[in-house]
Amino acid sequence: MIHRKMSTAIAVAGLAALILSGCAAESDEPGAEPGAPVEGAPDWCGPDEAVVGLLDGFGGNSWRLVTTAAGADEVAKCPSVVEYLYADGQGDTQKSISDIQGMVASGADAIVVFPDAGEAMLPALRSAYEAGVVTVPYRVDPNGTDGEDFDLWVGADFVADGVAWGEWISENFPDGAKILFLSGPAGNSQGIDEREGLESVLTDDSYEFIGEQPYEVTNWDPALTQQVLTAAIAKYDQIDVIVSDFGPSLVGALPEFEKSGRSIPALVTSDGNVLSCFWEEKKDANPDFKLFTVATGNDNVRLAVQHAVARATGGVIPSETAFAAPVFEDSVSGSPNPVTCRDDLPGDIYLSAQMSPEDQAALLD
Amino acid sequence: MADTSMPRSLTSARVSISKGLLTVAISLVVLVVVSAILAPSSVSPGAVLGMLPFAAVLAIVGLGQMLVVQQGGIDLSVPGGVSLAVVLVTHMPNENDALLVPAVLAAFAWAIGAGLLNGFMVGRLGLNPIIATLGTNALLFGAVLGISGGIPRTTTRLLASIGGGQTLGIPHAVLFALGALILVSILVKRTVAGRRFEAVGASPAAARATGLRYRTHQGAAYVWSQLLFATAGILLAGITNQPTAFQGNTYLLTSVAVVVLGGTSLLGGRGFPVATVVAALFLSQLDQFVLALGVPFAVRTLVQAAALAIGVAIYTVNWAALRQRFARASAPAAIATP
Repeated sequence: MIHRKMSTAIAVAGLAALILSGCAAESDEPGAEPGAPVEGAPDWCGPDEAVVGLLDGFGGNSWRLVTTAAGADEVAKCPSVVEYLYADGQGDTQKSISDIQGMVASGADAIVVFPDAGEAMLPALRSAYEAGVVTVPYRVDPNGTDGEDFDLWVGADFVADGVAWGEWISENFPDGAKILFLSGPAGNSQGIDEREGLESVLTDDSYEFIGEQPYEVTNWDPALTQQVLTAAIAKYDQIDVIVSDFGPSLVGALPEFEKSGRSIPALVTSDGNVLSCFWEEKKDANPDFKLFTVATGNDNVRLAVQHAVARATGGVIPSETAFAAPVFEDSVSGSPNPVTCRDDLPGDIYLSAQMSPEDQAALLD
Repeated sequence: MADTSMPRSLTSARVSISKGLLTVAISLVVLVVVSAILAPSSVSPGAVLGMLPFAAVLAIVGLGQMLVVQQGGIDLSVPGGVSLAVVLVTHMPNENDALLVPAVLAAFAWAIGAGLLNGFMVGRLGLNPIIATLGTNALLFGAVLGISGGIPRTTTRLLASIGGGQTLGIPHAVLFALGALILVSILVKRTVAGRRFEAVGASPAAARATGLRYRTHQGAAYVWSQLLFATAGILLAGITNQPTAFQGNTYLLTSVAVVVLGGTSLLGGRGFPVATVVAALFLSQLDQFVLALGVPFAVRTLVQAAALAIGVAIYTVNWAALRQRFARASAPAAIATP
């Protein structure tokens, strides 16, 4: 009996969701020609009113916090967006899926999704897209097709990161180097893409990747990183360059070199204030410690938001479809930026992000 | 009930050495020898100094778990307890050394609160410890997210030097672990309250019959364990420098593993603090050894799982019965042969 009541209730709720999403889809008709931007707003902001939602798969670290704030900031540039919604999947795939369904049901015209669970998010993305909602996943690849499963995926170009790192290594170690590459969980596509980029530049045999292939598995966990690095230091007498796609997680691990009586080697990675300050503090005692960083990519979300808002409001669709992280710091050439430490601000901010360091610090308080 | 599976002591020796300690100590020696032959870099001074702080943290967590396990309970709120301590001592001070002491006190206050909650649910209300402590774990993670928003902060310099530093070449974390070991050993083995505590674990019914407040002892174990988890979390924050908000997650399985490897029965009874600490050292060195071997991540995980399975099997499989059975099975065959 109770079961029947519950299933009726669920059916009614589902029907309501369908009707609501249907309504949302109908009201989504573009009213004006694209290319007629709102005055004082960027050209990707069209004249049609829209409700825009940002969905995070996992909001629980400072990087995500800054990224989310960057997304909200980008949305706020467009006055046509009448309502901005946010949902945090809290690392739970089931919740992330129901967040999408909930947002579609509540009448969002466009959603920007960080699909942490990858392909598991594809059905939810597809159903949102088919319900007529502008759907823009970003950063993590949900393995679907643009225009079929969603409007488009605004990925980060991790191969480009690898290429930038490789070029710096070949410039600073022209005679070859022993390279230790650390990435996240086993098999993650980010690490594999970066490796591909590195190899496309470092073709000469004098460049040798040591340790586990294609990268040392650290799960981006500082404790495991420390253990992996300790083992590598003991095993290899010569490590010229460490490549890591999560620089700040190395701050606790790098002093292991000093404990073994060796200089911290060159580090090629993504930026973070804590890392820059660490370099500032350690550079004099460690002659080999050079630092090269690419932007950690908080602004990837801005491009995704632009695509979503442009489609929902009838603005000009940006031509860029992938976010290439710019080179940020180089302790050797000082270009485009020398390593910059803001020791008056928290370590967990990213000076490479568009958002000002002070605003990021305020977010963390 | 616990008596049949309780590891016996070698009574002929002047100092009694438990079967657990003997097994795990021999295993450790064998592991070190194998490490030295197959992956010499894993026993080099640098690698050992890098491994010891993590072994120390695991040892402290394991001691906490042991106190609960010897009461026939289990504390699955380890991840929440450790993570909350990590978050409190990094988030509250926000890189300001002056606020470190209040933060540490807050971490211990939370630990006592969580321990009392567990103790009340298990000791007083008689709830199943697996369910009760998992519930507390969820509550603690709620607190982790509530306090930090899931966003950890960089460790203060003072804590980094306390947790990650060395004195006379000995990592501080090791000193803390030794302190915890001595404290637990003396309290449990040399004080009246400790002997009562152990008696309750060996047989709650007998303890009750002799008029001991067995419920209080069972409940108190959860407070002690949370205090040790918090200590481990504070050290871990110092060691990793840039911890995540979920740093305790890896200790759920390993904390139980070291207790079992140390020979403490999951059914309750005597606790073996020294063996637990040696088991922590064994598991950490095993990690380091497999890392140094340079095998793929998948193999690494398999080796650790196999070590656990073998360790548990040593104590839980009834080897005497198994031998008897095989002897019986092979006896007719022996007769058949001319």
